[in-house]
Amino acid sequence: MNIEVAEERDGDALVLLPVGRLDSANARAFESIVMERVDGGEQRLIVDFSRLGFISSSGMRVLLMAAKKLHAGQGKLVLCAMPDHIHEVFRISGFDQIIPIRDTRESALGEV
Amino acid sequence: MADELDVTIPARLSEVRELSGMVEAFGDANGLPDPKVFVINLALDELITNTVTHGLEDKADAEIRIRMQVDGGTLILVMEDNGQPFDPTQDTNADVTSSLEERAIGGLGLHLVKSFADRITYEFVGGRNRLTMEHDLARAAE
Repeated sequence: MNIEVAEERDGDALVLLPVGRLDSANARAFESIVMERVDGGEQRLIVDFSRLGFISSSGMRVLLMAAKKLHAGQGKLVLCAMPDHIHEVFRISGFDQIIPIRDTRESALGEV
Repeated sequence: MADELDVTIPARLSEVRELSGMVEAFGDANGLPDPKVFVINLALDELITNTVTHGLEDKADAEIRIRMQVDGGTLILVMEDNGQPFDPTQDTNADVTSSLEERAIGGLGLHLVKSFADRITYEFVGGRNRLTMEHDLARAAE
């Protein structure tokens, strides 16, 4: 199952905006999109959650893979604009300790 | 007694979408807060993923039955499947503390299910796995 992912560029940072649900049904499609960008040489990656209403561990797994690969290559992944209910899932997972989460896109651009 | 949900779906990842719509309708009918509907749909996504990827071994007739009801101030969700016996409550704890370099990829789903449920019990009855989760609704309204 596909996922709509909007892309915006800000300087040399790439901002990905997954839309709707990121779940076990479409996590593979999201993985292809994200890892293609990472493998293609993107170093400063932001995933903006403002258009996402649902995520499960299948989707979080993709973000962890991307964060690891970027980190290993001196790049960075920063997340932003996360709704409270999703932020809670990242906190319970301990993801907030290893992947930076910023309130706004502007703040994420300063961090990445 | 408000509306109940009782649905049996083929054990396939693609089914989580239609199921999530049913859970949202159930939430509306029972006045559940949105954050509670979210964690129920999260738990179902994690559990169905777990069953489909680990418990079925290409069983052609694999199916999952989901029942939900609100009893007093408690939401009760029962999930049954005819896959291999597997007790998710005994699953070892997920890695939620190590560094980015060391962090294991995967194993998080059941940690989330257990973290959000107030009570969770497992039985193997009549050749089926049965997982019962209870969510206290008062807590969600705080």
